[in-house]
Amino acid sequence: MTPADVPLEAWLLFAAPIAAILFGFFVLRPTKPEWTHLPILLSCAIVTACSFALAARVYSGHSFDLNVWRWAAAGKWAVDFGLRVDGPGVAVLAMVSLVGSLIHVYAAGYMKGDPGFSRFFLVFHLFFLAMIGLLTANNFLQLYLFWELVGVASYLLIGFWFHKESARKAAFKAFMTNRVGDFGFLIALLYILANFNVTHFHLIYSLIDKGVRPDALPAIGALLVWAACAKSAQFPLYFWLPDAMEGPTPTSALMHAATMVTAGVFLLVRSWPLIAAVPWLPPLVAGIGAFTAVFAAVIAATKKDLKRILAYSTVSHLGIMMLALGLGQVALAVFHLVVHGFFKAVLFLCAGNVGHAIHKPTANVDEVGGWRKALPWTYACFLIAALSLAGVWPFAGFFSKDAILDAAWEGGGWIKWASLFIAFGSAFYIFRMLLLTFHGQRPEQKGLKAHPHEAEAGMVAPVFFLALGALLVGLLAPAVQHLVAVGWLGMPQALPQFPGGLNLPGSPLIPELSFKDLFGRGGLMALLGFAAAYYLTMVDAGWDWRWRRNAPALEAVFESDFGWKILVGWIADGVVSGARFAGRVLDKKWWDGLIEGSADASRGAAGMLAGCASGRLNDYLWWMATGAALLLGRALR
Amino acid sequence: MTALIWATTALLFAAGLAMVVLRRQLLAMLLGVELMIAAVNVSLVHHAGLFSDAEAMAAVAIILAVAAAEAVVGLSLILRVLRAGRGVDAGALTELRG
Amino acid sequence: MTLFAVMLAAAVAVAFAGVMVFSRSLYVSAVCLLVVLLQTGVIFLLRGAPLLGLLQVMIYAGAVMVLVVITIMATGGEPEKGFERFADFSFPRWLAAAGLGAAALEIGMTLLLGGFSDAGAAPAAPALGAAFSAALFSSYAPATEAATVLMFLAALAVLPDKEGA
Repeated sequence: MTPADVPLEAWLLFAAPIAAILFGFFVLRPTKPEWTHLPILLSCAIVTACSFALAARVYSGHSFDLNVWRWAAAGKWAVDFGLRVDGPGVAVLAMVSLVGSLIHVYAAGYMKGDPGFSRFFLVFHLFFLAMIGLLTANNFLQLYLFWELVGVASYLLIGFWFHKESARKAAFKAFMTNRVGDFGFLIALLYILANFNVTHFHLIYSLIDKGVRPDALPAIGALLVWAACAKSAQFPLYFWLPDAMEGPTPTSALMHAATMVTAGVFLLVRSWPLIAAVPWLPPLVAGIGAFTAVFAAVIAATKKDLKRILAYSTVSHLGIMMLALGLGQVALAVFHLVVHGFFKAVLFLCAGNVGHAIHKPTANVDEVGGWRKALPWTYACFLIAALSLAGVWPFAGFFSKDAILDAAWEGGGWIKWASLFIAFGSAFYIFRMLLLTFHGQRPEQKGLKAHPHEAEAGMVAPVFFLALGALLVGLLAPAVQHLVAVGWLGMPQALPQFPGGLNLPGSPLIPELSFKDLFGRGGLMALLGFAAAYYLTMVDAGWDWRWRRNAPALEAVFESDFGWKILVGWIADGVVSGARFAGRVLDKKWWDGLIEGSADASRGAAGMLAGCASGRLNDYLWWMATGAALLLGRALR
Repeated sequence: MTALIWATTALLFAAGLAMVVLRRQLLAMLLGVELMIAAVNVSLVHHAGLFSDAEAMAAVAIILAVAAAEAVVGLSLILRVLRAGRGVDAGALTELRG
Repeated sequence: MTLFAVMLAAAVAVAFAGVMVFSRSLYVSAVCLLVVLLQTGVIFLLRGAPLLGLLQVMIYAGAVMVLVVITIMATGGEPEKGFERFADFSFPRWLAAAGLGAAALEIGMTLLLGGFSDAGAAPAAPALGAAFSAALFSSYAPATEAATVLMFLAALAVLPDKEGA
């Protein structure tokens, strides 16, 4: 296939956002900044249409992967830009473009009146473009490029209100933590280049299939998992995500719920043949995912800031995606990624509406309460998304989450019980959030005294459509499975510990629906979670505030994420003081002193030698005489 | 005999060299140069007789003449330095310093 | 016999050379040099080059030394207050002398150890004198002429300055 055969939709996928950004930056920003969102919204519509067209193309079996342009070449190595339009990529791309476009519409209403309106839209769309690039990259190097670009956009958007110190610090923390992961990615890239000489996915898949260099794979795989942990906020490197809520709500909804954080999972999906070839990596991934999911679910249940509850919930669900991957259920992980994008975006945008109602960027449970009638649309959408998150039939989350938890139950070990707890915990925290915000009058809350009002249509309509998605996307499960199976170019047919392959046609994805399954393990746990939340927020209405008053030490434990944040703070301080030492003492004092001292040394030596040029005749005569005599002595000998 | 001549030459030459290098006055340096030339002439004449080399003797004659001329030139230079008010002390002539 | 004569002449020459180096007065140095040159002339005579001996005494001891003494008279060679014999060096004076001495010693050792042949104290062949004179105007003729020209050029040295400075 040549670049001439690439369908127009694939070119438009890039051309539209680039044109919108350039036009917005060079023409609209200086002249009419309040119109910046118009070409960008048009570009969003084009991108969405194109991505669905490409999805249809891949569904019918016409996926493709080709190099478009050779950027640089040296000897046997080359850096290419290419397009890879295949099953997992196009499934995630469709979700990203649809959710992203609706969030762009929401942002037009949310950011109205902000002095940085134009800058916001331009950076937001740049992020959108970077995500598209990441999903259609055809080699690791290109994926790394867009991965970094996504990180840059994240930094710019988290620190969007840069006059707030907390925003600046959060942006810096996010970028630095991602950098730690990116370093692992870079080392993995170099390893891949050194061992395989190419970074293109389909070439690497075939090389792994042939069994080339199996001893390099553990290191590469572990480093890629490390990078994914940083980007997708898994256990050691998750702590940047809650603080990233300092950014505006559209940012949180798009990046830190639906798209950027899923880039890590997507990287592992793309590298799946590599990772699955190492026996101990998939269980490691599953373990990290399960642990993170449990850990974050517990902490989410104790937070008071609405957006932070959702942030920890995102961490927990990313853990569920990692768990699915670790169990070998690649199609299921991709499907949950898609479903999660919808319902998490709805939740974030509803939290944004709640904050907007009291004219603040985010709301705390102390400032809300009993707003069900005051914000009816927001409440309805939130309820749909909450049911989806908890995995209740027939909402979309049921199909993905429950299937994963079933697979975990089959997997055995501690993951079995962890999966039960995850089901319970996610229902608990989300219903706690729903009930505290929209139901009941409690004396500790401001409640209706805050005079909330529903947001305008421009902010409610996108949420409504997304909520419809959160309800209906479950029906697309077979489509996603088909996409992943059929559309995956170059996929090796069998992997050692997953003899059935990766949910290739033949193995069922959706568990057979029966009455037993509706109230099977997952359903039962969700019901228990709801019951517990109801009891602790409605029946015992002041419980949430009471335990904080009675046990402030316990609250401090949760605030510091069981001490992990404190440990990370120590490590960061150690690194910073090490860097300061290296910079001030080693570099400035010693090394610069050495260099400048060498100048002084040579000056001193020159001064000593200059003593020979004294101007005294007798000195010169003496040197002549002695020197000539010694030379003569040598010659005679 | 040759050993004696060599010893004489060596000692006279060393004395002349010491005069040139070590003494302060320019005229003393000139005297030293003359002494060095005389020492060399002694050795040349002896060896010329030893090897019956007439041309070596001719060379000595030429050296004699040239040395005389050089002494004259040197003297006039010293007089010029004196006339320029610089004195005859070699330690005062330090334009080449640095 | 000539050996003793040469030995005597050499000894006198070396002694007066030593005095010359260390004397405080330039006049004394000049006179010492005169004596040394005379002795050198004697040695020339004893070694079978009478003409050269004559030339040495006549030109050197006679003319050049007189000029030198006149110049010493013009520049002042008497010891006076603050009259320093030896020059200052950038390093200690004893080091200068030691360096010179060490260099001379090294060459001396090289020569001694290298050995030399002693061809005896035979006087030169009488025909040498005639051959010498012949050589001056045959193979050394250009050199002779050049030396003559040099004499004339040396006369330029005594031309006065225009300003008479």
